[in-house]
Amino acid sequence: MSVRDLKGNGRWWALAGCLLWLAFTFFPLYWVTITSFKSPLGVVGGPTYLPFVDFEPTLTAWTELLSGQRGQFYNNFMASTIIGLSASVIATAVGSMAAYALVRFTFEVKLLTGVIFVVVAFGGYLLGRHVAGYGQAISLIYAFIAALALAIGSSRIRLPGPILGNDDIVFWFVSQRMFPPIVAAFALFLMYTEMGKLGFKLVDTYTGLTFAYVAFSLPIVIWLMRDFFAALPIEVEEAAMVDNVPSWRIFFGIVVPMSKPGLIATFMITLAFVWNEFLFALFLTNSRWQTLPILVAGQNSQRGDEWWSISAAALVAIIPMVIMAGILSRLMRSGLLLGAIK
Amino acid sequence: MTRNDPIKHFFIWPALLIVLVISIFPLIYSLTTSFMSLRLVPPIPPRFVGFGNYIELLQNPRFWHVTWTTTIIAFISVGLQYVIGFSVALALNRNVPGEGLFRVSFLLPMLVAPVAVALIARQILNPTMGPLNELMTFFGFPNLPFLTQTRWAIGAIISVEVWQWTPFVMLMLLAGLQTLPDDVYEAAALENASSWQQFWGITFPMMLPISVAVVFIRLIESYKIIDTVFVMTGGGPGISTETLTLFAYQEGFKKFNLGYTSALSFLFLIVITVIGLVYLAILKPYLEKHK
Repeated sequence: MSVRDLKGNGRWWALAGCLLWLAFTFFPLYWVTITSFKSPLGVVGGPTYLPFVDFEPTLTAWTELLSGQRGQFYNNFMASTIIGLSASVIATAVGSMAAYALVRFTFEVKLLTGVIFVVVAFGGYLLGRHVAGYGQAISLIYAFIAALALAIGSSRIRLPGPILGNDDIVFWFVSQRMFPPIVAAFALFLMYTEMGKLGFKLVDTYTGLTFAYVAFSLPIVIWLMRDFFAALPIEVEEAAMVDNVPSWRIFFGIVVPMSKPGLIATFMITLAFVWNEFLFALFLTNSRWQTLPILVAGQNSQRGDEWWSISAAALVAIIPMVIMAGILSRLMRSGLLLGAIK
Repeated sequence: MTRNDPIKHFFIWPALLIVLVISIFPLIYSLTTSFMSLRLVPPIPPRFVGFGNYIELLQNPRFWHVTWTTTIIAFISVGLQYVIGFSVALALNRNVPGEGLFRVSFLLPMLVAPVAVALIARQILNPTMGPLNELMTFFGFPNLPFLTQTRWAIGAIISVEVWQWTPFVMLMLLAGLQTLPDDVYEAAALENASSWQQFWGITFPMMLPISVAVVFIRLIESYKIIDTVFVMTGGGPGISTETLTLFAYQEGFKKFNLGYTSALSFLFLIVITVIGLVYLAILKPYLEKHK
């Protein structure tokens, strides 16, 4: 019996509280599940609670949904799956590499270099747009390339001013999450439209949405994986370095296999984020690559009170994540996420 | 210990480029647009208006109303999430019976798509077919206007937020509780400190840094709320439950008033930054005291 255990009455009060919260957590999920098995008459007739007791379950809603009588649900499901999986894989891979670099290598960026980048990017855009008379997309691309080139060039020469280290770079990545997504989503939509005029169709394409999701998942991935890599014992890597193993082989041959649980957990968190994301999908897709949340959100206005079929559609969006929750909770027990918030 | 190796560039550049492209493009575009009068429907040529959009917005009562609504939703729901999440985390940390089952199932709401949650909430709150109405009728309050009267609608949105995001707070706080050392509690038990004293004297102060971080994350995220409101009330009745993001969506995507929307999103960014800074400034002395 450790000091942590509750004694006497407190134990039962705590249990009662937890059970109450459990009921609150489960009731909506239970409700949506039973509603999807109700017949249209069973829904309209007022609330019923127990299958086989106060209503006869039917498979009407599910057969309608799966046979495609109710619009192209299958298409949305595939779009969600393909985009979700590929965006999470790319974000986890790219983000882990960056996170590893930020843990193990030294980075020094002059503050002035960053300032040069921002100023040139802004100035170049305005120049291109209003003086040279280029289109929006073209001036942005030129301004970006010029800014990047000047910033890299300026880092070669000695510049005065404060130096930003690894922690500052991580902070910059994470601070991208502060940015209200509506700003980015709307600007991206306009940007993608401009690119479309140049011949690169990005609105409502696989590339466009996946790219946006990768970019918006990267801060989380870097944040989570950085703490995970920092917790790995460095001795193994040092031993490999003594043997002159190149860094990329240390990473792919030693570090990645060692951090498999962290990578899997990060991948799942990213997948859940992308799977449930609404705003970007709302702005950046319109038919072919529309994801499940958009389909689900549209149910209500399209169908009114056809709760049985709405419930079935909602469940299609919920079930994959519930299965994942089971797997995830096993991994979480190690306190993996704790490092991330310190 | 960090080392220097040219290969580091190969590791970091892909991520850096992607984030740079996606963050600097919208930033440049919307910041420059916010100083212009630019409409797509009906199309009018862009015209430089300086701070015109900002001034117009600040004088628009709808902007203040929307900010106020978002603030109420964010603060009340995060407050409730913190209190409930902390209580449940404490219970789970103290090995309440059935703790393993609770841990798995309490996580679930976090992973359910917010639009799906909002749809389920609509069913439950339905005035004729919903179970909640039946329950309230049983208690003698039939036909409460859950989604059609401002106060009730805001309450409903807050409940949905609490349902969905308390698990996140709980998860983070539970992870924090598990790292607290046992010996402090053993000493406190020897001194005959009551559980109440132990909580306020030991647990709460030691959990303060994590609490601050978790509440900060949730506050920032809550300000971005759109999907739940979009499905549950659509901002209605009238505009009484409209949030900042929904307002921006309406202006930008329905009216294609680009300059105005861009200015709105920057004001939004300023609101979030100010709230974040004030929050951290208020809590800093406490954090330092307990270090």
